[in-house]
Amino acid sequence: MKVPISWLREFVDIKADPAEVAQILTLAGHEVEEIFDPYQNLGEIVTVKILEIFKTEDLQEVVVCKVTDGKNTFEVLTTAKEQVRPGLIVALAKPGSLTFDHEKIEVKTVKGYRSEGMFLSPFEAGVSPEKDRLLAFSDEVELGLSIYKILNISEPVLDIAITPNRGDLLSIWGIARELNLITDWELRPPVFPEDLKEGEPFSGKIEIWDSTSCFRYIGRLFKGITVKESPFEIRRRLFLVGQRPINNIVDITNYVLLELGQPLHAFDWAKIAGSHVIIRKAKRGETLLLLDGNWRTLSEEDLVIADKEKALVLAGIMGGEESGVTENTWDVFLESAWFNPKSIRLTGQRHRITTESSYRFERGVDPNGVFLAVLRATDLFVRFAEPKEISQIVDVYPQPYVPNPIELPVKKVSKVIGFDIGEERVEATLKKLGNLVREGDTFKLIPHSFRQDLRIPEDLIEELARLYGYDQIPSKMPFGELTSRAPQREFVLKDKIKEILTGLGFYEVITYSFINPEYLSKLSLAPEDRRLIPLKLSNPISSSLSVLRTSLVPGLLEVAKFNSHREVEDLKIFEIGKVFFPQSELAEEREALGLMLKGHHLEGAPWEGKRRQFDLYDLKGFIEALFSLLRLSVEIKPFSREPFLKKGLSFDLYVGETRIGYAGEIKRLILEELDLKGPILIAELDLELVSQAKSQQLEDIAIKKPPKFPSTFRDITFIISKVVTYAEIKAYIDSLEIPFLERVELFALYEGEPIPPGEKSLSLRFWYRGEERTLTDEEVEELHRRVAKELFEKFGARPR
Amino acid sequence: MAVASIKEIKQKALEELKAISDLSQLSEYRVKYLGKKGVITLALKALKDLPPEERRILGAELNELKDFLEERLDSLKRELLLAEEDRLTDFDITLPGRRPEIGTLHPLTKTIREICDIFLRLGFEIVSGPEVESDYYNFTALNIPEWHPARDMQATFYLENGALLRTHTSPIQIRTMLQRTPPIRIIAPGKVYRCDADVRHSPMFHQIEGLMVDSDVSFADLKGILTYFAKETFGERTKVRFRPSYFPFTEPSLEMDISCVICDGEGCRVCSNTGWIEILGAGMVHPEVFRAVNYDTEKWQGFAFGLGVERITMLKYGIDDIRLFYDNHLYFLDSFKTL
Repeated sequence: MKVPISWLREFVDIKADPAEVAQILTLAGHEVEEIFDPYQNLGEIVTVKILEIFKTEDLQEVVVCKVTDGKNTFEVLTTAKEQVRPGLIVALAKPGSLTFDHEKIEVKTVKGYRSEGMFLSPFEAGVSPEKDRLLAFSDEVELGLSIYKILNISEPVLDIAITPNRGDLLSIWGIARELNLITDWELRPPVFPEDLKEGEPFSGKIEIWDSTSCFRYIGRLFKGITVKESPFEIRRRLFLVGQRPINNIVDITNYVLLELGQPLHAFDWAKIAGSHVIIRKAKRGETLLLLDGNWRTLSEEDLVIADKEKALVLAGIMGGEESGVTENTWDVFLESAWFNPKSIRLTGQRHRITTESSYRFERGVDPNGVFLAVLRATDLFVRFAEPKEISQIVDVYPQPYVPNPIELPVKKVSKVIGFDIGEERVEATLKKLGNLVREGDTFKLIPHSFRQDLRIPEDLIEELARLYGYDQIPSKMPFGELTSRAPQREFVLKDKIKEILTGLGFYEVITYSFINPEYLSKLSLAPEDRRLIPLKLSNPISSSLSVLRTSLVPGLLEVAKFNSHREVEDLKIFEIGKVFFPQSELAEEREALGLMLKGHHLEGAPWEGKRRQFDLYDLKGFIEALFSLLRLSVEIKPFSREPFLKKGLSFDLYVGETRIGYAGEIKRLILEELDLKGPILIAELDLELVSQAKSQQLEDIAIKKPPKFPSTFRDITFIISKVVTYAEIKAYIDSLEIPFLERVELFALYEGEPIPPGEKSLSLRFWYRGEERTLTDEEVEELHRRVAKELFEKFGARPR
Repeated sequence: MAVASIKEIKQKALEELKAISDLSQLSEYRVKYLGKKGVITLALKALKDLPPEERRILGAELNELKDFLEERLDSLKRELLLAEEDRLTDFDITLPGRRPEIGTLHPLTKTIREICDIFLRLGFEIVSGPEVESDYYNFTALNIPEWHPARDMQATFYLENGALLRTHTSPIQIRTMLQRTPPIRIIAPGKVYRCDADVRHSPMFHQIEGLMVDSDVSFADLKGILTYFAKETFGERTKVRFRPSYFPFTEPSLEMDISCVICDGEGCRVCSNTGWIEILGAGMVHPEVFRAVNYDTEKWQGFAFGLGVERITMLKYGIDDIRLFYDNHLYFLDSFKTL
């Protein structure tokens, strides 16, 4: 809401400078976002002195003036050749600036003559109504200065953010009333001559057919008006708030809307068939061409102003193209109404239209202001449109507004605020808000009709706190019973995982929950994979953010891409966030963990040069470390069924029978399609399943004590077929249940010369320990020989 | 063997002792004099051929020398060992060490943790709710019916299935109150979504919702809690200011400003020269909201607040572009590597 201080001053005796007014309003809940001066915003309009004037043969109507702004010289073409003379100081609007009536100044070339700007008339400069002379200055003024500075024209305008509950503040008069409420500055209500109410009998008919959508409708007919340009003062005020003038009739309706907050509409009376104005719901499928040039198909919920034949106007929202006022209009029918805010809101949303008018109706206009606005418009029509005949005011008001009294128990005020602002203060403040009666310990308030926001006791308490000053209310700490619950397991788990992973050198990333569906299609998932059926946004910001993610992989790949394009090829990142799937209600939301290793990493100090590509053993190691710290035993099953992973370099993760995730290296083809350098290793885990598994597995910690008797070890190095996996060997050793065996360690793995192709050499170290005595060399030797024999026999291995 | 020769041994031994300058000399010296075939060892052995009287005197003298030398050699060895360890090596101590890889939490996670920790200290409990919400929980139950102009304040993403992405964390208030009876003290961090994208707006961002319901919780308590929060987050010197505002689900409603963290309230570009920066919205729970969850409005009072995690993080670190959080560039993330 733009409020020129000079306009505001007409209605309230302002006793502070604009910055202070802004501060007062802001602290009362009406945030002043900006104080600006529309004249300053016009751009460079400066004083220049004419140095020389050239007449030219090929330009009959114009002369070329060479001018200076004190520093540089310019050439300007002007048609005001009678007025210009060397030495004259005039106002030059430089290219890029705007005139008062919204003309944009640009460099123009006429027949090879350049004009670097335009000389302005007082009207074009927005200084006075004079159009037919150039704005000229006395010889003493400085050159190159803003003409507004020289003329001492400054028009501070407040740009105020009005909260949706305060429709009553969407006008100059409304702001004036509010300032009076806050500061007690004297109010100067608008007054009109009594005879403005009188008029000739109305020759038409007004009927409200739907009184739940239209509460009040006032019409007045002005015959024989003159449609023309608005007077300068009206144009100037529209300019101050950034509105374009159209003609006197439309401008006056806009002017009253801005001043009093009551939207008005002017019809060309000749276009209202049968002189019969009907306020009704639209017929289904009825069409209407609105002022924005678009045809709308209406629904039965939309309220229209119609004549006998058809809909003319989308009530309270936008006028119709056909019934509006034009230069040919002779008789004007003026509408001032009070529509049901809900009806206006829903229709506006249905057709996606918001106008100055609908914005105010939605937020509730003053039922009594409807009448006042007619008087104000009449006043202005009489002065600026010279009607030959004015009708009576026809006020169709089926159920006059009866405000509900609000009951406020005295005690409730200090109970809610937590501080006693004093009964006298309460009473004095409430009195300003309407008619106040005190009944025992309860105040009964009938608020002013414009305060449609005041409905319940809490609304009054807010007014009391607000007008007392939020900052004046002392702060304290609440008092209450101690309550506590154990933190939710999911939160604890998430937090722990984040700690572990950052400790292991991972960076946490957060990516959008919406993704580009193309990413999913690139993962070559099976057609029945439910990740291919994401929830779709009906109004996405862009197609690249149009579905809810069903996997964290696309987001992580996007991070890889963004970094890769900006000098970072090596990544070690993770994300914890939700993935979404359709279900009968809302969505199935599952917390997921994604890990990504990309490129290389450093072992040791940088100068040791041990840069190594990440491979699956790195990823597996991190997953093992994570689950070991979470004390959750997971089974790693080669190979994963995820089609986007290299099969031989992938595995699934299981807890019991439940698959909780997968890990592996992404296929090169997919990376190439995404223009990414590999290798990229990725893992994704369902944290809901991890959490469930965690709650099922007991957290028994087996305490180990320092050993009492020494251990001893024996190594076996053997050659075995590559087909045999380490897991098989390990499982077989476990199955032997070897006495005194404490642990087995694979300490060397070798493939290549001199080991024959298809075979590998493994070195295992077996640690033996007796719990009650020191083992003898002989019994260990005996035991170990047996183990070696079993191993060789089982796998066809041989000692190396 | 004669006394004279013992004197000679002694003199020579003491002389050579002085010349020892490193461990290998020391070791040679020890062998030469005290080894199995050392000068002193042999001399002692030779004593047995001497008459008892002479043997006693010379023996005593030799043993004394032997003890003396052993003691000296031991202490000299310690000295030399210590000196050796203090000798400079060819390690270039200025080379970078073998630093283990260290990761870091996302800055938004850090802010969420810091804020949640403050409220956990005050006895609040962390809860969560769904990100895909119904119109009822996101709007209607919060006293924002379909026709309410306040819906304009929150540009909503809708899903094709009719649900929506929550525009604020406030639906968690409703879900929590429906599940529990007062007293309630909860804090609820989470992702929220609005159709907006520029330097200051991200279509997805994070909020933290707070709710306290009890028999006597007042507006003054709300001010107290929020002031405590602001000072804990932005420092003890931070000043706070409360302005009336409007949210359909609170009445009275407020917005809290803090003194500008960039200019300390002097006025700068960040605070639009006002010296103040808005950081959160709050208010007393609206009776319509209590009615939606069947709470007795005569019995219970409460306050709620909601704050933007990105905004607070941007203020704390002087970040001017919200998109940096979601680009996840490693350099940006790396700048938050701190405890």
